[in-house]
Amino acid sequence: MKRQLPLLFVFLFGTFMVVQNFVPHENSERAKDFLNDWTIIIGIFALALGIWSLISVSIDKINKRKPNWEYAFVTLVGLVAMIFFGFTSNVSSSWWTYFASLIVLLIALWLLVQGILGFGAGATRSKEKFFAGIGLGLVFTLIAIFDKSWEFHFYTPEGLENTMFKNFFSNIMVPLQSTMFALLAFFISSASYRAFRARNLLASLLLIAALIVMLRFTPGPWGDLISKTSTWVMNVPNLAAQRAIVIGIGLGMVATALKVILGIERGYMGKG
Amino acid sequence: MFSVLKMKKYLGVFYLIALVVIYSTIAAQVPVDATAVVHPPAPVTGLTASDTDSDHGHSITVNWKPSTDDGGGANSVIGYRIMRSNSPEGPFDTVGIVPLGSKTFENSSSIEAGTTGFIPDDTNFYFRVDALTADPAVFSSSEGTGPVHSYGQWFNKGLYPVLWAVIIFTVLTVMFVSAAKKGKELYVRPLAGIEAVDDAIGRATEMGRPILYVFGLGTASDIATIASFTILSRVAKRVAEYQTSLIVPCYDPIVMAVAQDVVKTAYMDAGRPNDYKEDAVHFITNAQFAYVGAVNGIMLRELPATNIYMGKFFAESLMLAETGVVSGSIQIAGTDEIAQIPFFVVACDYTLIGEELFAASAYLGREPLLLGSLKAQDYAKAAVLVLALFGILAVNFAGDLGMAWLANFKELFKVID
Amino acid sequence: MELLGIWIGAILTLGIFSFLYKDNPVYKVTEAIFIGVSAGYYAIVYFFDSIYKKFWLGAVVAAEKDLMLYGGAVLGLLFLSRLYSKTSWIARWPLAFIVGATAGLYMMTYFVTNGMNQVASTISDVAQKSDLAGSSWAEVLGTYVILVGVVTGLIYFFFSKEHKGAFGAAAKVGIWFLMVTFGASFGYTVMSRMSLLIGRMDFLLGDWLRIIN
Repeated sequence: MKRQLPLLFVFLFGTFMVVQNFVPHENSERAKDFLNDWTIIIGIFALALGIWSLISVSIDKINKRKPNWEYAFVTLVGLVAMIFFGFTSNVSSSWWTYFASLIVLLIALWLLVQGILGFGAGATRSKEKFFAGIGLGLVFTLIAIFDKSWEFHFYTPEGLENTMFKNFFSNIMVPLQSTMFALLAFFISSASYRAFRARNLLASLLLIAALIVMLRFTPGPWGDLISKTSTWVMNVPNLAAQRAIVIGIGLGMVATALKVILGIERGYMGKG
Repeated sequence: MFSVLKMKKYLGVFYLIALVVIYSTIAAQVPVDATAVVHPPAPVTGLTASDTDSDHGHSITVNWKPSTDDGGGANSVIGYRIMRSNSPEGPFDTVGIVPLGSKTFENSSSIEAGTTGFIPDDTNFYFRVDALTADPAVFSSSEGTGPVHSYGQWFNKGLYPVLWAVIIFTVLTVMFVSAAKKGKELYVRPLAGIEAVDDAIGRATEMGRPILYVFGLGTASDIATIASFTILSRVAKRVAEYQTSLIVPCYDPIVMAVAQDVVKTAYMDAGRPNDYKEDAVHFITNAQFAYVGAVNGIMLRELPATNIYMGKFFAESLMLAETGVVSGSIQIAGTDEIAQIPFFVVACDYTLIGEELFAASAYLGREPLLLGSLKAQDYAKAAVLVLALFGILAVNFAGDLGMAWLANFKELFKVID
Repeated sequence: MELLGIWIGAILTLGIFSFLYKDNPVYKVTEAIFIGVSAGYYAIVYFFDSIYKKFWLGAVVAAEKDLMLYGGAVLGLLFLSRLYSKTSWIARWPLAFIVGATAGLYMMTYFVTNGMNQVASTISDVAQKSDLAGSSWAEVLGTYVILVGVVTGLIYFFFSKEHKGAFGAAAKVGIWFLMVTFGASFGYTVMSRMSLLIGRMDFLLGDWLRIIN
């Protein structure tokens, strides 16, 4: 029953979406729209589970002193800080109270977690940590209520306009994302160096095609010939093989989707 | 003193000058070719309006025979204006203008009431088409047509070929799966990447190093990720049997949840439920490059003996594969992202190209049901080949054989939503 | 503040580049910051995009409430049953919905785009360009090369028959075509990857160190 009912749901929803594709009526389109909306809403609840997984793995790493446990602190601080910034905004010109509140929150959460985990493990001083965490949590709550220099925004997205939230995005996330992307230049060079030691016919074909296309913008007497050859390679053999791969992938996807709907493929469902 | 004769002469000149002035004034207001006075063109005929077929409603198609002055006759028609009203007497509003030569117009709107130009279903409308000329004031209106109302259809007739294809594919799958259930031997050719999985897991066990399994950036909605779940369950079962450790860092939280279930079940099936570690499968982040950075860190610190990449990958594919080379791992990859396959081919030891990823689950388990559906896939591929070749011959030789209908064979496959 | 932002960006950039040398504490700190900040960022953004925009505005505060959205919220809450191992099996219901609905949706999408439209394109390519009167000999030859490539490429992906004899020869030609396409894709992306590096160098040398304009 724990497995049969979900498999029945898979069949029902899968068949509905297949049939929906053939039905142009607006009720069918509305049904597809709300199914899409459900997927998005479920996704955010799943993200809460994901964040919980990240937090629990990090805390476990710190408590058990696993290798590189110190860096898990940095991850947790970054995570809590971003969430704090996203749900608050600083309305005064001074940032001291705002950041002091964040520090109080971080310490309170840490002490609470250690206290709760300590109860289960029978660790010493877990009770003190727990109550210290409660105390600091109360301090934080009092600051949040009575200090008017910053505000909580749970029901409106004003936190997205928070200066610190935007600064963390533009000065931390953007440079890091761009730099990681830029590392590809080095990786593609090292991959090329290894790949272009043509050991057999297949590797040679790959090498020649790659060289022709890479050099397609070369100026000079050979540039025109290479450019035309590159265009031909892209428009003829490349197109042919891409079409074959696309057809194969399409049939593979259709077959897998059909297996999932009919319950033949049920490895994702787990047991127990 | 002017004499009478001189007066008459002057008056004559005056009248002549006046005539010239009056004529010039009129001539300045009339187009250069004073003979091109625009007459109202012939109106369109045969006007019909009907609900647009195979749609979600809120759409009416208007057809007409073009005016005889469109491309012929006086050649004065420059376009047509389609007018609509809620009553036969009007007032009519413009709903569209189309160029000369047009014979049809689809007056449609979104399904959301309140949007601009919304056409409610089951409401009577009347249409008229005006033939327009270069002079906006000169046009001819057709006879009105109506009442006509729009409504949604419950089947898109343009998708008949798709319906038949789906039915045939499903029948093929069920046929082969039934044959497989009855114990019929189904041959599949060996795939190097799949055969390497067992050896790779054995290698990891001997070296005492973990196995890293990466789903990539897919979500549980992606078919490639669903195929990857089945591969993971096979890999996890072998890992459990060999008592090697497994690391599965996840990008998507739903994928993480499913993967946790899959791995836990695999350990239970292998008879080692206590060996399952909760934090073997964990969430990292759902930012592409932060996830890659973390996985790269895992590779360099945990030094897995085997890296298995199965699922949906994007620009990070090369980063993962190259870092795996640096850490000295055996790498087996499979993805349906065509743009990333070259990077895996170049950097990994074994690559499952496109469709091979979807076939992998059948290979690893050798379950008759899965092998049966693989057969259906092959037959569908053969059908695609045969139909494409037949279509090419049909289109090329239809004229010679006098079978004009064959020339339209390819239209069967053109599906436009 | 802007100068501080540039300095932080530059230090983090160099931290990531240090990975090219080997794993080191600077890279580890940078990686940890990246994971924590990005996880928090997307948690907030998805919260406001999905719970706030879709659910709160559409089903709670809206004048005309879309009650169907409560179904999604119920399924989402069921997903949280995973937090407790004894009830974690309940989470299979929302999962079944997601997997089933998307399997049905993608099955049809890929049937049409990857299957039928590709067949139509193959037929029309050959039909249009195989007429010598309308095309050059190079175009006609190219069209038949495409046809051979598609046919042999598909033959390569047959699983039911061993690659032996004539079938094996055709499959071999197919893998040649595949290798050419992989090489072409590889070569095509090299320049774009290099331009990403140029962009970062521009930031470090221009915005940060102000060595270049």
